[in-house]
Amino acid sequence: MSGLRAWLIDPAPRSPMQARAGQLWLGWLRLARNPLALIGLLIIVALLAAAALAPWIATHDPYAQNLAGRLQPPLSPGHWLGTDEFGRDIWSRLVHGARITLYIVALVTVTAPVVGLIIGTVSGYFGGIVDTALMRLTDIFLAFPRLILALAFVAALGPGIENAVLAIALTAWPPYARVARAETLTVRGADFIAAVRLQGAGAGRIVVGHVMPMCVPSVIIRVTLDMAGIILTAAGLGFLGLGAQPPLPEWGLMIASGRKFLFEQWWVATMPGLAIFIVSLGFNLLGDGLRDVLDPRSATR
Amino acid sequence: MALIEIDDLHVTFEAKGRPVHAVRGVSLAVEVRESYGLVGESGSGKSTILRAICGMAPVTGGAIRIDGRALAPRRDRGFARRVQMVFQDPYASLHPRHTVDRTLGEPLAIHGLARGAERGRRIVQALADVGLDAAFRFRFPHQLSGGQRQRVAIARALMLEPEILLLDEPTSALDASVQAEALNLLSRLRAERGLTFLMVSHDLAVIDHMCDRLTVMKEGRAVENLDHAQLARHDMKASYTRELFAATTERIAAAE
Repeated sequence: MSGLRAWLIDPAPRSPMQARAGQLWLGWLRLARNPLALIGLLIIVALLAAAALAPWIATHDPYAQNLAGRLQPPLSPGHWLGTDEFGRDIWSRLVHGARITLYIVALVTVTAPVVGLIIGTVSGYFGGIVDTALMRLTDIFLAFPRLILALAFVAALGPGIENAVLAIALTAWPPYARVARAETLTVRGADFIAAVRLQGAGAGRIVVGHVMPMCVPSVIIRVTLDMAGIILTAAGLGFLGLGAQPPLPEWGLMIASGRKFLFEQWWVATMPGLAIFIVSLGFNLLGDGLRDVLDPRSATR
Repeated sequence: MALIEIDDLHVTFEAKGRPVHAVRGVSLAVEVRESYGLVGESGSGKSTILRAICGMAPVTGGAIRIDGRALAPRRDRGFARRVQMVFQDPYASLHPRHTVDRTLGEPLAIHGLARGAERGRRIVQALADVGLDAAFRFRFPHQLSGGQRQRVAIARALMLEPEILLLDEPTSALDASVQAEALNLLSRLRAERGLTFLMVSHDLAVIDHMCDRLTVMKEGRAVENLDHAQLARHDMKASYTRELFAATTERIAAAE
């Protein structure tokens, strides 16, 4: 253990891998100093574990109906979070719903920020007419409220998780493009960019290899902070019946179906609501912590 | 024929809607293996001349020739192989998220030179050439001191084995003790590799130490051309050069 530690904090690393691992270790130490960020990380790890181990953690089949035992209150025997209007176990549905939530989150994170990063850096680096064209396009997408635009896309493409993800990704990229462009504008005039240009590097190499690494931290922070919004939008689409379709145990959909009994059987809508709340909080706390770790302004010394 | 010829160079920037005439008709010629200095106070246009050679400043008149050939409007890879530059601020000229290895390997990667183990060998050799241990290879710039960073920047400029090195106040951001080391390193590298230097400084003492000939600049114009012997004899015609010289000797006397 101490050998590994010494290897990580070695001031003269012997390989690029060791240098990168050392940087990650220092970042982790900074993150570990922030208890709230650790709580956030714990929540995300719990979400990942629930999704990975869903069949073992769940006490029942999430689709198994039992009309005799419908609308059981929490802490009733065998159903510690109660049952919904078809007698399905809410705990099992929540655990299986974690998979859907993660699926949506993962698909959005590999699309929207990447698109935003490319558009933002290209726009900021080239400037001029390219910048004007791309940024006006960004403005058009930014001018629409996200949920409304997502609604329009889903209405056009048809309901379903994949289309909901596509709609969210299409509406989520503009802020990343803005962040990346702002960051690009601050570095494009830097001497280290002038130096690599002077070495004969082409625009593609400069944007991908030299500009993007400077923008990635801000974009990652933004993504973690936006994750709560993405989950809420996905849940919102599910709630409106435009995202996941019944009988999928999607959290937004579960809230929608519990709405009818909110006053008498409050737990049917409240439990998935709490799950969304906790996961959103986890991403927000982690995002705040990551900002301290990754922000180039606080990290450069 | 001179290696670098600058003929009646004019550079005009657009700043806040108004044109700024930074260089107003400067001519000079740098011979092969010569070390040539440009000296003047800040804002005199001396750094702008270096940037104009590299294509980083808008040339509005005159010509820059290397080996008698006018430069193409866009500097190509061939130009990069012949001319490299060391920037003033080593804190700004190294990519903060690249290791020394990546920084030094990048010029080789761009030009498709020395792959794999050979590239690693050349990087270690380049570090040794500027007096840095191989242990620095995988460090990030923030793990280096100012002097070490400037050595890395010099090593990077030499990776492509250029014949001309443009030096933009290469030591002004360094401590006095490190300055002398960096200047001696540059002198040694010039002698070893037969480099041609075009060096900019506001410090006449640095230029006097490093350069065979120099041009004194003020407000975008060349005030006077001097060689080393004339400077030693205090044989200068322009009153501005005399002022600059007096200020430098006073400062050196005060320091001693």
